[in-house]
Amino acid sequence: MSIQVQMMLHVGFGVLGILLAVALFVDVLNVSEKNMERIKKLSVAVAVFIFLSYLIGGYWYVVHYGTDRAIIKAGQWAWAHNYFMEVKEHVFFLMLILSIYLPIAVYRNVPLTEKGNRSLVLGIAALIVLLGLFMEGAGAIIGKGVTMGLMGR
Amino acid sequence: MKIEKYTAGFGLSLIVTSLLNAVILLLKETNEGIMNGMKAALGHHWTTHGVLVIVLFVVLGFVFSGTKMGEKWDSRKLLTCIIWAVIIGGVVIAGFFLPHLKGA
Repeated sequence: MSIQVQMMLHVGFGVLGILLAVALFVDVLNVSEKNMERIKKLSVAVAVFIFLSYLIGGYWYVVHYGTDRAIIKAGQWAWAHNYFMEVKEHVFFLMLILSIYLPIAVYRNVPLTEKGNRSLVLGIAALIVLLGLFMEGAGAIIGKGVTMGLMGR
Repeated sequence: MKIEKYTAGFGLSLIVTSLLNAVILLLKETNEGIMNGMKAALGHHWTTHGVLVIVLFVVLGFVFSGTKMGEKWDSRKLLTCIIWAVIIGGVVIAGFFLPHLKGA
């Protein structure tokens, strides 16, 4: 598998995880017996996609990122690695365990029609979405850091 | 309302692990011995860090689920603590690297 495909899968699974967390959030706001099964499936899908993003991104980071890091650090956007990659790679763990916890809260903390239970799931989903958006933004800055390094700026 | 035991147990584990994640970061970044040990353990400090976080979350989750904390907590209290743990954990990480932002 080429490193480009690996990177696309890492980002793709991450984006899918975020989008499905948004879908779950909306479904939980309108929870009923009709959409309960879909909410359960969405919670598992979020966990699976974020975990896949972690595995593929982690492999890419450990095996291939060294070259990009050297390019970024030689350019004028060295902070793209020194700050955003360092923060991203460690804050990601928060998003990962939130995603693993999501199906536990959905499957075990029933009924979701109860206000407190619903709030817990909504809160977890919102945190996943917010952290996910930060991941996407930080990833874009890191990618731009490589471009700046290659342009000699 | 009483909270289900695995929701409570793994929720508390999420709180503790979110904070420990930041503590592990501070320890490895400020102690060369710990950093080298984590590199030696699984080949890369980040790999070891990730495995530690996942193992801690799962093990603590089952340990806390075995206690009776679910009878003392409700969903709202749990969510409030989770949000604060994620904020504190995230701010510690973002704050630690803040000096590296110079030049931006």
